Amino acid sequence: MENRIVCVPGQRLCRLDSTHTLGKGTYKRQDYIYSSLAGIVNVDNTNNKISVVEVLSKDQTIVPAPGDIVTAMVTTLNQDMCKCLITSVCGHELNETYRSSLRRQDVRMKEIDKIDMLQCFRPGDIILARILPMTEAHTFKLTTAENELGVVIACSEYGHPMTPISWTEMKCTKTSAVEYRKVAKIVQDNADENT
Amino acid sequence: MDLLSRQGLRTDGRRSGELRRIRCKMGVFNQPDGSAYLEQGNTKVVAAIYGPHEIRTNRAKAPNDSAVINCQYSMATFSRSERKRRPRDNKSAELTLHLKQAMATAIKTDLYPKSQIDIFVQVLQSDGGNYSVCVNAATLALIDAGIAMEEFVISCTSSLANGETPLVDISHLEETMGGPSLTVAILPISGKIAMLETSQRIHINHLEPVLTEAVRGCRYIYENLNKIIKKHYEEIGGALNWGTEEYNI
Repeated sequence: MENRIVCVPGQRLCRLDSTHTLGKGTYKRQDYIYSSLAGIVNVDNTNNKISVVEVLSKDQTIVPAPGDIVTAMVTTLNQDMCKCLITSVCGHELNETYRSSLRRQDVRMKEIDKIDMLQCFRPGDIILARILPMTEAHTFKLTTAENELGVVIACSEYGHPMTPISWTEMKCTKTSAVEYRKVAKIVQDNADENT
Repeated sequence: MDLLSRQGLRTDGRRSGELRRIRCKMGVFNQPDGSAYLEQGNTKVVAAIYGPHEIRTNRAKAPNDSAVINCQYSMATFSRSERKRRPRDNKSAELTLHLKQAMATAIKTDLYPKSQIDIFVQVLQSDGGNYSVCVNAATLALIDAGIAMEEFVISCTSSLANGETPLVDISHLEETMGGPSLTVAILPISGKIAMLETSQRIHINHLEPVLTEAVRGCRYIYENLNKIIKKHYEEIGGALNWGTEEYNI
């Protein structure tokens, strides 16, 4: 990238019109695009019709937002909900964890009333989940009611890693014991995690 | 003793509209998410930013759709000619609120829902305009932390010498001996005023020239900091490949 423009917060970048749109690290004020970060200006022309003006910075601060796919670790579990710690958002690792909870009715789409939390998760499991829209609650609410969401990494009772054998069962690699989980259907090349 | 000599020089040799030397460094600490050191004349300040992270204080009161800004202003016990007993007192609590108010006008809090941003500033050496230097240092540290802001928040002080001439960027001596001192924090691009305070009553006829002089001082500081930040980012940005590697994961 030659002759790059270094910008600072509040710097006017260009007009907001039918050919330019807002990207990361920018905001709009009175028909102009302004920068909200310090970094370099990048104009993304991959789409021929409209180019995205964004600011690339050394470290982007990310916080979980509704609709994001997150990686979380299950910490505590009871019959109604389980508590999780969000460790990364959309494939970006967070500096520190955020608390969240996953209620029983959000575990899967079908047969909600038959869910037994103990047959879906165990403390220590690494899960993929989606953040539900904000409510008045203080913590983030998660859902795994999609085929691609659920337990990704888990250890058996004896402490050995397990591999999925169906969407409800996982098998221990050492002892061959079968345990119940809400297993995520992993899409190859992790395309889901990076969206 | 006159604050302005007949030749038009102040006690430290500056002219009435002249500011003190500005030196700064961004990213001085490793542990916080952002930090900065700023020196305006003999006033020296460090600022550190933590966050955005999960809300830890007052979780019940926290707004649902925007970030909580938590500030702390303190003075080192060795910052003044007489040792301070406590780094934080009633005066600091007041300045903490002013600082929070000024910074909240520029930070785009709606981008960080259910999160908290901590701003800690400490005065290492005090020589007038402590609050202003703290605001400027906090702005630099926020930029270093990569927190989205609408624009800079820049603050400057000004006072009145001999009841007629406005003095910009006043020192401790001018603050204590002179007339009323005025502190203003502005958003330099849109020209909005984020904070305005006077230490005592000021005549309405004097308010405009003193305020104009303080705003001019703010713009001068803005130009300077702008240059320093751009230079800093040109130096460090190239080494980090402008964060473009993150995009290719």
